[in-house]
Amino acid sequence: MAFVDALRALNTMRAEGVVEEYAIAGAMALVFWTEPVPTFDMDVLVVLPAARGSLLSLEGIYRWAESRGYATQDEHILIEGLPTQLVPSPNALSREAIAAAVEVDYQGVLVRVVPPEYLIALYLQTQAKTAKRRERAAALLDLPSLNRRLVDDILGRYGLSF
Amino acid sequence: MTFLDGMASRSEVRAAELPSAELMDRLWEGKAALHRRHANLPLPEKVRLVIELQRIVLPLIARRRALRSWERPWEIEP
Repeated sequence: MAFVDALRALNTMRAEGVVEEYAIAGAMALVFWTEPVPTFDMDVLVVLPAARGSLLSLEGIYRWAESRGYATQDEHILIEGLPTQLVPSPNALSREAIAAAVEVDYQGVLVRVVPPEYLIALYLQTQAKTAKRRERAAALLDLPSLNRRLVDDILGRYGLSF
Repeated sequence: MTFLDGMASRSEVRAAELPSAELMDRLWEGKAALHRRHANLPLPEKVRLVIELQRIVLPLIARRRALRSWERPWEIEP
Protein backbone atom coordinates (compact mmCIF):
# COMPACT_ATOMS: atom_id res chain seq x y z
CA MET A 1 0.00 0.00 0.00
CA ALA A 2 1.29 3.41 -0.86
CA PHE A 3 0.32 6.99 -0.14
CA VAL A 4 -0.27 7.57 -3.83
CA ASP A 5 -2.86 4.78 -3.83
CA ALA A 6 -4.82 6.62 -1.13
CA LEU A 7 -4.76 9.74 -3.27
CA ARG A 8 -5.89 7.75 -6.29
CA ALA A 9 -8.79 6.42 -4.23
CA LEU A 10 -9.95 9.97 -3.47
CA ASN A 11 -10.15 10.68 -7.18
CA THR A 12 -11.99 7.43 -7.75
CA MET A 13 -14.47 8.36 -5.06
CA ARG A 14 -15.18 11.60 -6.88
CA ALA A 15 -15.29 9.99 -10.33
CA GLU A 16 -17.85 7.47 -9.08
CA GLY A 17 -20.05 10.23 -7.66
CA VAL A 18 -19.64 9.21 -4.03
CA VAL A 19 -18.62 12.80 -3.36
CA GLU A 20 -19.16 15.78 -5.63
CA GLU A 21 -15.83 17.30 -4.73
CA TYR A 22 -13.05 16.92 -2.23
CA ALA A 23 -9.94 18.69 -0.99
CA ILE A 24 -7.23 17.52 1.36
CA ALA A 25 -7.08 19.77 4.42
CA GLY A 26 -5.45 19.70 7.83
CA ALA A 27 -1.93 18.60 8.59
CA MET A 28 -1.44 16.57 5.41
CA ALA A 29 -2.39 19.64 3.37
CA LEU A 30 0.33 21.47 5.31
CA VAL A 31 2.80 18.84 4.17
CA PHE A 32 2.05 19.70 0.54
CA TRP A 33 2.86 23.37 1.13
CA THR A 34 5.42 23.49 3.89
CA GLU A 35 7.48 21.15 6.03
CA PRO A 36 6.28 17.77 7.31
CA VAL A 37 4.52 17.75 10.67
CA PRO A 38 3.58 14.76 12.81
CA THR A 39 0.08 13.60 12.06
CA PHE A 40 -1.68 10.27 12.20
CA ASP A 41 -4.56 10.82 9.83
CA MET A 42 -5.57 12.64 6.69
CA ASP A 43 -8.46 15.08 6.76
CA VAL A 44 -10.41 15.43 3.55
CA LEU A 45 -13.15 18.02 3.19
CA VAL A 46 -15.91 16.74 0.92
CA VAL A 47 -19.02 18.03 -0.76
CA LEU A 48 -21.63 15.29 -0.68
CA PRO A 49 -24.17 14.74 -3.42
CA ALA A 50 -27.46 16.53 -2.80
CA ALA A 51 -29.23 14.69 -0.01
CA ARG A 52 -32.82 13.59 0.12
CA GLY A 53 -34.23 15.46 3.08
CA SER A 54 -32.28 17.90 5.18
CA LEU A 55 -29.67 15.69 6.81
CA LEU A 56 -26.36 14.86 5.27
CA SER A 57 -25.22 11.31 5.67
CA LEU A 58 -21.90 9.61 5.19
CA GLU A 59 -23.76 6.39 4.39
CA GLY A 60 -22.82 6.54 0.72
CA ILE A 61 -19.15 6.92 1.62
CA TYR A 62 -19.23 4.04 4.08
CA ARG A 63 -20.95 1.80 1.49
CA TRP A 64 -18.32 2.71 -1.08
CA ALA A 65 -15.53 2.07 1.44
CA GLU A 66 -16.97 -1.32 2.28
CA SER A 67 -17.23 -2.21 -1.40
CA ARG A 68 -13.52 -1.48 -1.78
CA GLY A 69 -12.57 -3.45 1.30
CA TYR A 70 -11.60 -0.38 3.31
CA ALA A 71 -12.17 -0.97 7.00
CA THR A 72 -13.52 1.73 9.28
CA GLN A 73 -11.98 2.48 12.64
CA ASP A 74 -13.98 4.82 14.86
CA GLU A 75 -14.55 7.85 12.63
CA HIS A 76 -11.79 6.98 10.19
CA ILE A 77 -11.84 5.02 6.98
CA LEU A 78 -8.61 3.13 6.29
CA ILE A 79 -8.14 4.11 2.66
CA GLU A 80 -5.21 2.05 1.34
CA GLY A 81 -4.02 1.76 4.94
CA LEU A 82 -4.25 5.48 5.63
CA PRO A 83 -6.64 6.59 8.41
CA THR A 84 -8.76 9.17 6.64
CA GLN A 85 -11.51 11.41 7.94
CA LEU A 86 -13.94 12.51 5.28
CA VAL A 87 -15.55 15.67 6.62
CA PRO A 88 -18.67 17.01 4.91
CA SER A 89 -18.14 20.72 4.36
CA PRO A 90 -19.61 22.26 7.55
CA ASN A 91 -19.79 25.88 6.48
CA ALA A 92 -19.34 28.48 3.76
CA LEU A 93 -15.63 28.89 4.43
CA SER A 94 -14.88 25.22 3.93
CA ARG A 95 -17.04 25.13 0.80
CA GLU A 96 -15.04 28.05 -0.53
CA ALA A 97 -11.80 26.29 0.47
CA ILE A 98 -12.83 23.16 -1.41
CA ALA A 99 -13.73 25.18 -4.50
CA ALA A 100 -10.37 26.96 -4.33
CA ALA A 101 -8.39 23.73 -4.01
CA VAL A 102 -5.24 23.43 -6.07
CA GLU A 103 -4.39 20.30 -8.03
CA VAL A 104 -0.98 19.01 -7.02
CA ASP A 105 0.90 16.26 -8.81
CA TYR A 106 1.97 13.46 -6.48
CA GLN A 107 3.88 10.77 -8.37
CA GLY A 108 1.71 11.30 -11.45
CA VAL A 109 -1.60 11.52 -9.59
CA LEU A 110 -3.30 14.89 -9.49
CA VAL A 111 -4.83 15.49 -6.09
CA ARG A 112 -6.81 18.47 -4.79
CA VAL A 113 -5.36 20.28 -1.80
CA VAL A 114 -6.72 23.26 0.11
CA PRO A 115 -4.40 26.17 -0.66
CA PRO A 116 -2.39 27.69 2.19
CA GLU A 117 -4.41 30.92 2.28
CA TYR A 118 -7.55 28.94 3.08
CA LEU A 119 -5.74 26.56 5.42
CA ILE A 120 -4.86 29.56 7.56
CA ALA A 121 -8.50 30.59 7.74
CA LEU A 122 -9.69 27.06 8.50
CA TYR A 123 -7.19 26.83 11.34
CA LEU A 124 -8.43 30.10 12.80
CA GLN A 125 -12.09 29.16 12.89
CA THR A 126 -13.36 29.74 16.41
CA GLN A 127 -14.49 26.21 17.10
CA ALA A 128 -11.15 24.79 15.95
CA LYS A 129 -8.84 27.46 17.32
CA THR A 130 -6.47 25.52 19.53
CA ALA A 131 -2.94 26.67 20.29
CA LYS A 132 -1.58 24.03 17.90
CA ARG A 133 -3.80 25.23 15.07
CA ARG A 134 -2.86 28.88 15.66
CA GLU A 135 0.78 27.83 15.51
CA ARG A 136 0.23 26.02 12.20
CA ALA A 137 -1.60 29.02 10.77
CA ALA A 138 1.26 31.26 11.87
CA ALA A 139 3.82 28.94 10.24
CA LEU A 140 1.94 29.20 6.95
CA LEU A 141 2.35 32.99 7.08
CA ASP A 142 6.07 32.44 6.44
CA LEU A 143 5.47 30.79 3.09
CA PRO A 144 7.29 32.85 0.44
CA SER A 145 4.55 32.21 -2.09
CA LEU A 146 1.66 33.09 0.21
CA ASN A 147 -0.87 35.57 -1.15
CA ARG A 148 -1.12 37.79 1.90
CA ARG A 149 -3.83 39.96 0.39
CA LEU A 150 -5.98 36.89 -0.17
CA VAL A 151 -5.39 35.81 3.42
CA ASP A 152 -6.47 39.21 4.69
CA ASP A 153 -9.50 39.12 2.41
CA ILE A 154 -10.62 35.69 3.60
CA LEU A 155 -10.05 36.47 7.27
CA GLY A 156 -11.90 39.77 6.89
CA ARG A 157 -14.90 38.23 5.15
CA TYR A 158 -15.28 35.50 7.71
CA GLY A 159 -14.46 37.63 10.75
CA LEU A 160 -11.40 35.59 11.67
CA SER A 161 -8.14 36.62 13.30
CA PHE A 162 -5.06 35.24 14.99
CA MET B 1 34.04 41.68 44.21
CA THR B 2 35.75 38.30 43.86
CA PHE B 3 35.11 34.99 45.50
CA LEU B 4 37.65 33.44 47.81
CA ASP B 5 38.87 31.08 45.08
CA GLY B 6 39.80 34.09 42.88
CA MET B 7 36.97 33.75 40.45
CA ALA B 8 35.24 36.80 39.05
CA SER B 9 31.94 38.00 40.49
CA ARG B 10 28.78 36.06 39.89
CA SER B 11 27.53 38.60 37.36
CA GLU B 12 30.83 38.52 35.48
CA VAL B 13 30.75 34.73 35.39
CA ARG B 14 27.17 34.76 34.13
CA ALA B 15 28.00 37.24 31.36
CA ALA B 16 30.97 35.11 30.27
CA GLU B 17 28.79 31.98 30.10
CA LEU B 18 26.10 33.59 27.98
CA PRO B 19 26.18 32.87 24.25
CA SER B 20 26.92 35.84 22.08
CA ALA B 21 24.16 37.50 20.10
CA GLU B 22 26.07 36.50 16.97
CA LEU B 23 26.02 32.84 17.96
CA MET B 24 22.30 32.97 18.70
CA ASP B 25 21.63 34.61 15.33
CA ARG B 26 23.60 31.85 13.58
CA LEU B 27 21.69 29.18 15.48
CA TRP B 28 18.30 30.69 14.64
CA GLU B 29 19.27 31.10 10.99
CA GLY B 30 20.45 27.49 10.92
CA LYS B 31 17.10 26.38 12.27
CA ALA B 32 15.24 28.53 9.75
CA ALA B 33 17.38 27.05 6.97
CA LEU B 34 16.47 23.54 8.12
CA HIS B 35 12.77 24.41 8.03
CA ARG B 36 13.18 25.84 4.53
CA ARG B 37 15.02 22.69 3.35
CA HIS B 38 12.25 20.50 4.71
CA ALA B 39 9.60 22.67 3.12
CA ASN B 40 11.29 22.33 -0.28
CA LEU B 41 11.77 18.55 -0.21
CA PRO B 42 10.08 16.45 -2.90
CA LEU B 43 6.60 15.40 -1.77
CA PRO B 44 7.37 11.67 -1.39
CA GLU B 45 10.30 12.55 0.85
CA LYS B 46 8.01 14.73 2.96
CA VAL B 47 5.56 11.84 3.34
CA ARG B 48 8.45 9.60 4.36
CA LEU B 49 9.34 12.18 7.03
CA VAL B 50 5.74 12.25 8.28
CA ILE B 51 5.94 8.49 8.81
CA GLU B 52 9.29 8.84 10.54
CA LEU B 53 7.90 11.62 12.77
CA GLN B 54 4.99 9.37 13.70
CA ARG B 55 7.43 6.75 14.96
CA ILE B 56 9.34 9.38 16.94
CA VAL B 57 6.43 11.16 18.60
CA LEU B 58 4.24 8.15 19.34
CA PRO B 59 6.13 7.05 22.47
CA LEU B 60 6.18 10.65 23.67
CA ILE B 61 2.44 10.99 23.27
CA ALA B 62 1.90 7.61 24.94
CA ARG B 63 3.68 8.90 28.03
CA ARG B 64 1.12 11.70 28.40
CA ARG B 65 -2.12 9.98 27.54
CA ALA B 66 -3.74 6.87 26.10
CA LEU B 67 -3.29 6.62 22.34
CA ARG B 68 -6.37 6.90 20.13
CA SER B 69 -7.19 4.02 17.86
CA TRP B 70 -5.84 5.70 14.71
CA GLU B 71 -2.62 6.92 16.30
CA ARG B 72 -0.25 4.40 14.77
CA PRO B 73 2.62 4.77 12.32
CA TRP B 74 1.30 4.32 8.81
CA GLU B 75 2.32 1.07 7.25
CA ILE B 76 2.47 2.45 3.75
CA GLU B 77 5.10 3.41 1.24
CA PRO B 78 5.59 7.15 0.71
